Amino acid sequence: MGGDAVRVDTIVAAATPPGRGAVAVVRVSGPDALPFTCALVPVWRSQGTGPSARRATLALLRDPHHDAALDRGLITFFPGPASYTGEDLVEIGVHGSPLLVELLVEALVGLGARRAAHGEFTRRAYLNGKLDLIRAEGVADLIEADSEAAHQVAVHQVEGGLSHRLNEIRSQLLEVEALVMHHVDFPDEDDPPVPLSRILEAAQRVERRLEALLASAPEGELLREGASVVLAGRPNAGKSSLYNALLGEERAIVTAEAGTTRDALEARLSIGGFPFRLVDTAGLRTQARGIERYGIEVAERYLGGADVILLCLSASWSWGEEEEEFLRRWGRNTPLVRVRTQVDTVGAQQVPDWVVEPGTGPVASVSVRTGEGLGQLRGILKDLAFRGIAAKDPAAPVLTRRRQREAVARARDLILGFQGALAGGIPAEAAILDVREAEGALGELVGSVVTDDVLDQVFRRFCIGK
Amino acid sequence: MMANFDVIVVGGGHAGVEAASAASRLGCRTLLITPDLERVGQMSCNPAIGGVAKGVVAREVDALGGVMGRATDASRIHFKMLNVSRGPAVWGPRAQCDRGLYTRAVRRILDEHQGLELLQGVVSGLLVQEGRVQGVTTRAGEVLGAGRVVVTAGTFLRGRIHRGSAEGIGAGREGEPASVELARALEELGLEVGRFKTGTPPRVDGRTVQYDRLERQDGDPEDYRFSAYVREELPPQRPCWITWTGSELKEVVQENLLRSAVYGGELAGKGPRYCPSIEDKIVRFPENPRHQVFLEPEGLHTHEIYLNGLSTSLPPEVQRTFIAGIPGLEQARVTRLGYAIEYDYFPPHQLRHTLEVRGIGGLYFAGQINGTTGYEEAAGQGIVAGFNAGLAAQGRGPFVLERDEAYLGVLVDDLVTKGVDEPYRLFTSRAEFRLLLRQDNAVERLGPMALDLGVLSESQSGELGAEMARRQAVREWLRKSRLAPDTVNPVLVELGSSPVSGPISARELVARPEVPVGALAGISPDAPDLTGDSAAAVAVHVRYGGYVERERARAAKLRKEARFKLGEELPYEAFLTLSWEARVKLDRIKPDHLAQASRIPGVSPADLQNLILEVRRWRGGGSQRKEAREKESSSSTLPVPRLP
Repeated sequence: MGGDAVRVDTIVAAATPPGRGAVAVVRVSGPDALPFTCALVPVWRSQGTGPSARRATLALLRDPHHDAALDRGLITFFPGPASYTGEDLVEIGVHGSPLLVELLVEALVGLGARRAAHGEFTRRAYLNGKLDLIRAEGVADLIEADSEAAHQVAVHQVEGGLSHRLNEIRSQLLEVEALVMHHVDFPDEDDPPVPLSRILEAAQRVERRLEALLASAPEGELLREGASVVLAGRPNAGKSSLYNALLGEERAIVTAEAGTTRDALEARLSIGGFPFRLVDTAGLRTQARGIERYGIEVAERYLGGADVILLCLSASWSWGEEEEEFLRRWGRNTPLVRVRTQVDTVGAQQVPDWVVEPGTGPVASVSVRTGEGLGQLRGILKDLAFRGIAAKDPAAPVLTRRRQREAVARARDLILGFQGALAGGIPAEAAILDVREAEGALGELVGSVVTDDVLDQVFRRFCIGK
Repeated sequence: MMANFDVIVVGGGHAGVEAASAASRLGCRTLLITPDLERVGQMSCNPAIGGVAKGVVAREVDALGGVMGRATDASRIHFKMLNVSRGPAVWGPRAQCDRGLYTRAVRRILDEHQGLELLQGVVSGLLVQEGRVQGVTTRAGEVLGAGRVVVTAGTFLRGRIHRGSAEGIGAGREGEPASVELARALEELGLEVGRFKTGTPPRVDGRTVQYDRLERQDGDPEDYRFSAYVREELPPQRPCWITWTGSELKEVVQENLLRSAVYGGELAGKGPRYCPSIEDKIVRFPENPRHQVFLEPEGLHTHEIYLNGLSTSLPPEVQRTFIAGIPGLEQARVTRLGYAIEYDYFPPHQLRHTLEVRGIGGLYFAGQINGTTGYEEAAGQGIVAGFNAGLAAQGRGPFVLERDEAYLGVLVDDLVTKGVDEPYRLFTSRAEFRLLLRQDNAVERLGPMALDLGVLSESQSGELGAEMARRQAVREWLRKSRLAPDTVNPVLVELGSSPVSGPISARELVARPEVPVGALAGISPDAPDLTGDSAAAVAVHVRYGGYVERERARAAKLRKEARFKLGEELPYEAFLTLSWEARVKLDRIKPDHLAQASRIPGVSPADLQNLILEVRRWRGGGSQRKEAREKESSSSTLPVPRLP
């Protein structure tokens, strides 16, 4: 077979993030992964031996070109195809020094390995059939996950939860097609034609499952992207200090990065295990006149895409026309929390009217200085953004990308079209076109259907053989 | 060596007959060589032509000027249109034929062909020089030269008949010797060979059947015709009968299961799932209390009855015992025993779309040798191979039908693209454009192609022209006519359809499921004939409305992908961005274009996307750039793989 003769090169890269740490791991994958590794270990090189499969072996590593000792490394050899990439793969654990890692990678490059491109290990795993596309996407999500909930979803995706579910739905679609085509192709057989009601029931079952998956999409995308929380309010309402306070308490697991120039400040943080993007539009209104308009546009863009808005007002101020207008404009479609800031500056009795006015959403009273109310605010945020998810089965498959959502939505629309057509008297052999196209939509996610799949279903279910 | 013929066809079954007819109608000097000239076009198994999908193929072969439609009309003794309870897209004309009348009709039609010679003989070898076929040798020691050879050997290649768990008898079918030398000669050319099995049921003397215990099934009263061009004389019809197997047969089969050739382990070849033996049915569906048996007359002048549904490889005495346990057949005398037959086939991924063997110029395969079953599938391949052999001999371009043009296109493309893992039969499920590929429009789809090829006689061309004109007239009238409420409402009320308040086009009326186009006959003085099949065929498109348009749109998309040519020279093994499986499959199949590549099982949408990039990179600059650019626009519809 031609494919066996394919010449694939051997790639190398650090598998752990750059920087100092206790341990760093370098991965080598490809046909020469083992010989290259052995060349680094003088004992193995001289004796012509090597590590045993899938067992961690401690060995002294030397750069053969510069004849320099590198480190004592922990070497694990995974022979292909039973490895992550499906090829021969070696993992070399060394002490976590960036220089050491670079020297080790360079030594392997000197032996003939090539520095791996971004994502190339996973790409090889995919190409060698170790992962389908959805699982590969799950790997990317898993690496990027910065909250527990997003991590959970990614893990299930890598484990094939979503692929599995989509494949199940696809075989249900095949069943619908088989129920229709059975009697079209085999009209004179032992089994009578399948009643329309049974076909419709099978179609409805598929529709329900597609709906359930679709319902998970907003959450899934939210889990991947993080819920966007936008701070708004008049200048000096305490937005920036609230922003810093919310981040400050979570500093250990937050990667704050500045937005683009003059854009709003944006940072990711995890609250109660759920991912958030905190956006501070602070200062936008205090910019010089010329770019004030621009600032407002930016703020409006963020507000339009917000999952939760925090409308801040200093506890000593009173509710004004500006707040009223803001509420009318933004508070209709987006959950909005009115935040009384700087509550430490006023007495407990001075609770303004607007706080007790019913029916306008939650109110939080916080003090950045004393930390009062911050816990309550975080609880409100988590509740508003992730209410549905917190109660859900963490193992249930979730759509996490727009591509997935669109394909599933298309399949759902088509299966609805099929039911409508059948009910409207369109002959089944024409209406079945919708089912075929629905199979195609899911096929874009998990691989395509061949006609033999349909015939397999027919032969499994019905005794054919006039 | 001097070539004596343009085309030699080896074998005179349904594939060989059509191949010989097709080549000679092109004007090629053609030889058909077969072991028994009395059995040209022999129906080795059930005496019936057509069915769902298969019936469409029979009509397509006819539309291309083939033999099958005429021979069926001239010998049919029981006709039924299958699936009439469904939409016309999946109607399947099926005819029981008189076995003897069929072969006589085939022989008569072949004898009409100019430039076609028939020769009784057994081909034992192929002459091949430098990768090109030069002719054949016969068992009688003759050497026959031709630059194009079509092999249609059916089940004869190393055929072995099995009945019971004994070793089996070498035979091409009951009573005829197998072809061993030819099988060996083909294998020596380096071709991959496989082994399939199929079976046939026992037959009984009709005078010993108790018909009063059976359910009678009469043929349709209308005079349906397979042939669009020639009006053969239709024989009278005979009824078929239905009975059911019961628990008695089930017990006999279960007790003797290991004595069957298949379950006893004597037979290893893979058989078709859609044509299982009675043993298979009982093993696979033990919960089914009964199975139908169709009693089909073998002819007008014989009492023999074919027991459709009882295919078996059990030993003779067991066959007799289980037949006696079937209601109505208690006293039946067996005239022929059922058997299983195992034979060589050549996996068809080794062929091009012209059915020429890749790597051996001028050698074509058609029929069961390619791993198919069925007379219609064989005939369809025969006509494709015959045309291509003839066209190549004349230095003309190939004849390849697309999947949206004909079931023949689906058939050939499936064979060369997907290969076969059980004997291949056509189903409507295999045709993604089934609303376009109907029995009623075969002549419209393929007639003009036959005309272009120059394979229709003068009278056939005349018939075709008249038919096309009739349909065009109906189409025009449907589009242009405006009918007043007072003329159409009485008709509508009578049909139970809601009356209209203003003028309405005939097209809109025909779109209503309850209004057959024939009902509008006589409604308007300028209307063409609306009562015939021509008008009904035109109306079908209107009836399916948007669905036909959707199929057309999909077909157009496929055509666009088919414009991205791939060619046999591509080094797929070097395209490292494709999955390993895709590289192996592409290298094996060597698809003509991207659309075909997309149908290869194991080639994913992501592979296709990468394939486009690889091919563009490999071709680099030059003349291919334009093609690659063309592709880019259509490729945007494929999902782009985004890898982490």
